[in-house]
Amino acid sequence: MSGCPFHDAFSDHRAKGDAVPITFDGEDLTMIVGFQAVRKAARSHGEFSSDAPFRVPIPSEEDVRSVRQLPIEMDPPEHKGYRALIEPHFRRPLAPEYGERIEALLSELIDEAVERDSIEIVRDLALPLQSRALTYLFDVDESEAEEWISWGIHVFRDGEDGAAKGSVLEDYIHQKFDEAEQTPGASDFFSTLAHAEIDGTRLTREQCVGFANLAFAGGRDTVIQTVSSVFYLLTEKPDLMAKIQENPDLIPTTTEEFFRMVTPLTHIGRVNTEDRDVHGVSTPKDRRISLCWASANFDESVFKEPLEFQEDRKPNPHIAFGSGAHTCAGSHHARLIVRTLLRLLSERGISAQLLEKIDNVESHEYFERRTGFEKLVLKLEEGSV
Amino acid sequence: MAKVTFITEDGDHVIAEDADGSLMQVARDHDIEGIDGACGGVCSCATCHVKVKAEWLAKVGKATEEEQDLLDLEDDTDERSRLSCQIEITDELDGLIVEVAPL
Ligand code: HEM
Repeated sequence: MSGCPFHDAFSDHRAKGDAVPITFDGEDLTMIVGFQAVRKAARSHGEFSSDAPFRVPIPSEEDVRSVRQLPIEMDPPEHKGYRALIEPHFRRPLAPEYGERIEALLSELIDEAVERDSIEIVRDLALPLQSRALTYLFDVDESEAEEWISWGIHVFRDGEDGAAKGSVLEDYIHQKFDEAEQTPGASDFFSTLAHAEIDGTRLTREQCVGFANLAFAGGRDTVIQTVSSVFYLLTEKPDLMAKIQENPDLIPTTTEEFFRMVTPLTHIGRVNTEDRDVHGVSTPKDRRISLCWASANFDESVFKEPLEFQEDRKPNPHIAFGSGAHTCAGSHHARLIVRTLLRLLSERGISAQLLEKIDNVESHEYFERRTGFEKLVLKLEEGSV
Repeated sequence: MAKVTFITEDGDHVIAEDADGSLMQVARDHDIEGIDGACGGVCSCATCHVKVKAEWLAKVGKATEEEQDLLDLEDDTDERSRLSCQIEITDELDGLIVEVAPL
């Protein structure tokens, strides 16, 4: 892996064409790597289906959960009504009060961080931030985050105790739905789902758990790695905060460029519905397809100088949040966190000194890519930019 | 300030009497269904796509090059397509009517 902060792990693959055959943890996959091809495949539900329990994430998740995740593991048109059930919660970040809460939370965490001699960003800042912010999205009491923080960095498998964590999450979710069933009319995420109907029929418990499971899992590592990477950026691009301080209009463009460069979710799966040729790769029915967002976002035919972090890049049609019907429901929340973080860090003139880091590397036979950090120890200083 | 009408996918007419700033922001302030403006107005997401009523095209003007690059990626665009984040409301646009494109 190169030493550069952002790494295009797929340029060799793209040089071979829009798709390549790869083996991932022993599974043969067809990986789509060209920007236009990934975008199109994400929108071609008849050919490349999401209607496949446990098989949308790569690697697949049969052994870490017992329910189909919703609404991600289903296809349009059915998907639309299911997505609509959770949309009001996921649009909460668009309201000004939500932005104020996120700002207050970030200010508090930055205050604490600058007071210390050093801070381990991943566990002591990004994890509490992710968990506490998620309580705002779910509209539950902020104290609920304490338990979520106690689950550690990886909901399913945290290296610290080596145990499979999936069942801890599922037990917790069941308990929340038991409670929610007793509180009709409550506005929190669990109550919304517990009393929701599709075509006049209440959701089953299994479906409720499927929604909640995805909201916890999908919004955890991605946000933790994103936040950690923003802090790392302070060490890599020390002049960036001064530029934003001078021109705050750079905040939204920097945010988008940041998501393009970091692309926290490398790829996601679909299931091929018929034997077909996928951009020259003969792909049997039922083989999984990888939609490689992390390759698409560095496609030189769409992004000029893709390895350059250009804080004013415009247009920037990156697909870090996916494309089409399944476009990330949590993107408003994630974008708000990064924009607010950039604004506060620049306003306060925060700089960072790197003391220790352990990369979080996705390492496979066919690619190796850093998606964030296992550990990132920094010394933060205020008013130094 | 100008008056702007949004026609949503369901055919509803939603009128903003006090439109100011970017058309995307106006739509967001009025909770117009089908306009997300997810990226904050920087030509990154195309979730604020509208189709300008033909009689308003000349006054609203054509998409910028950056905007067009993004529109070219969308499936359901035509010569009336614009990203509403790139349209600044002026007095001249008083009475503007746009159709909201599906997300
Ligand atoms: C930086 C942060 C994030 C990134 C990069 C990201 C990435 C993605 C991507 C690429 C998809 C598309 C999956 C597909 O096409 O099959 C997706 C879907 C989804 N994400 Fe995120 N995500 C992030 C944060 C979040 C957060 C914070 C939440 C919730 C709290 C969340 C919840 C979801 C849900 C529910 C879906 C499924 C949408 C659907 O099927 O309609 N994500 N995400």
